Amino acid sequence: MAPATRQAQLSAEGVAVPAPARVTVAFGRANARGRRNGYREHLQGWAFVLPYFLCFCAFVAAPIIFGIDISLHHWNGITGAGPFAGGLQYTRLFNDSTPDAQRFWADLGHTALFVGISVPLLWAVPTAVAYLIFLAPLKGLFRVIFFAPVMLSPTAVGVLWAFLLGNTGAVNTLLGLHVTWLVSQPYAWISIDIATLWWTLGVNMVIMYAAISQIPGTSVEAATLDGASHFGLFRRIVLPQVKPVSLVVIVLATIASFNLFAQSYIMTGGGPGTSTETLSMWIWRTGFDIFNLGSASAMAFVMGVILLAIGIAEYAYIRRGSLR
Amino acid sequence: MRLTARARNVVLMMLIVGAVIMLMPWLWAIGGSLSPAYSSLTGGIFPSHPVLSNFTGVFAGTVGPVWRWLANSVFVSIAAATLVVVVDTLAAYGLARLRFAGRRVVFSAVLVSLVVPFVATLVPLYLEFDQFNLLDTYWALILPVSGSAFGVFLLFQFFRQLPLELEEAARVDGAQRLGILRHVAIPLAMPAIATLWILSFIQVYNDFFWPLVSTSSTNMRTITVGISVAAIGQYSTNDALLLALTFVSIVPMLLAFIFAQRRLVAGLSAGGLVG
Repeated sequence: MAPATRQAQLSAEGVAVPAPARVTVAFGRANARGRRNGYREHLQGWAFVLPYFLCFCAFVAAPIIFGIDISLHHWNGITGAGPFAGGLQYTRLFNDSTPDAQRFWADLGHTALFVGISVPLLWAVPTAVAYLIFLAPLKGLFRVIFFAPVMLSPTAVGVLWAFLLGNTGAVNTLLGLHVTWLVSQPYAWISIDIATLWWTLGVNMVIMYAAISQIPGTSVEAATLDGASHFGLFRRIVLPQVKPVSLVVIVLATIASFNLFAQSYIMTGGGPGTSTETLSMWIWRTGFDIFNLGSASAMAFVMGVILLAIGIAEYAYIRRGSLR
Repeated sequence: MRLTARARNVVLMMLIVGAVIMLMPWLWAIGGSLSPAYSSLTGGIFPSHPVLSNFTGVFAGTVGPVWRWLANSVFVSIAAATLVVVVDTLAAYGLARLRFAGRRVVFSAVLVSLVVPFVATLVPLYLEFDQFNLLDTYWALILPVSGSAFGVFLLFQFFRQLPLELEEAARVDGAQRLGILRHVAIPLAMPAIATLWILSFIQVYNDFFWPLVSTSSTNMRTITVGISVAAIGQYSTNDALLLALTFVSIVPMLLAFIFAQRRLVAGLSAGGLVG
């Protein structure tokens, strides 16, 4: 707001040549209550927000709306968009007799299996590590060691663990095993879970560490005086205190695990058979190998809705639990 | 918290075991990258006759234009992170400090978009860039992340916590909004802005799905996609070469990590705590 406007406003309020300090106060009020906004403040506000708003519309809002439109049309790999299909792409998904639909639900099952195994691990292991580091000396060193894999790209992680878990790879050699990790079940899933845990536990560890270090010292001390064991302390004092942050970690881990793509793609190629093919992978294949963008869009939307529902359900469940 | 000497030793032992497990893959991978091509790793961590041929091979372009891929990744990540920081700072400041019509609508839209999974926008985004003939260009690699709501939300929280008095003092001096942002708000928010920059850099550098879909020519690949091109292509069985490529790919990230480790850790913690 220009100084001239400010003067006009002040005189309108009937403030007679105020001292600078009082100007400040008058200003704070006018702003905080949102009164006396000229069109200039509206314009200024939009000027600030506009660049982001345009990016948001172009790369988030428009694709969502456009995506619904795509999923309501027939698609042809060569000619592109075909005639209007209504909800056909969606009803096809819920009609078990088509091979595409069967693969969609099978891949949803694979993805759910991975989420079910990895999410508890991706919460429990980092939380335990964070608590141990919190108690131990050399915190900085341990944090760096556990955090370092986070900086790898998913493809780098895939290459690394495909090498370690090969038939004559380091893991088999070191442990004297002859497990065909990447090409037989259940080892293929175990491989992907190990790689994912090694790769991402650092992020959750850092978040849980921050939460644990914010626990007020008095509640811990009171429990120590009561003679609680270290494990009891962890279970009865630490875990309840970090519950809200645990919730965030679990929801984030669920979303990340649900989007599993690169590890399967590099380590197992979706195999053996299609047993580690995930939903993201099948959507990608449908859209960019078979070029059925309508079907891919519809599947992506169903996946998005499922993800949203799981996120909300997790949130509600843990919230309800904490109220009891 | 105080631990007894015995408890402290137990904690330390558990952490050391964990740290060794975390470090072993790195050591094996270093050993593997120094092994002769196509040799399987048998026995110890380090090969008896270490060779550098895998690294010279990678730099000479055996698996593809690695220098080009690295340059693409670094350029795209820096450009995207800078774009995100500029756009998000302006928007977050506007939302936090200015009362304008439609403010609530914009803010709700931003919040809701936080939960939209990327895969839901993948196909339409692809067609959108196709429509403007921007597939397989730097534009396609840089622009989409600018719509992300995460940074706006992070900086919004930060700007709201800044004391109003400082800005009001500046306004009494007759400073314009943009001047206040530049000389008062941004210097105070610099830690949060730097954190957002480094998080965006990492996100774009390590992104796989979108660059895989939006680029098609070998020269436009990022290093993250380049690894996958090599790993499922004709070199899929040459572990030594692939591991060397992997180590080359993390050099830029390693530098970012060394310079910004503290910032990064602070940012991730804040992200989790803000929720």
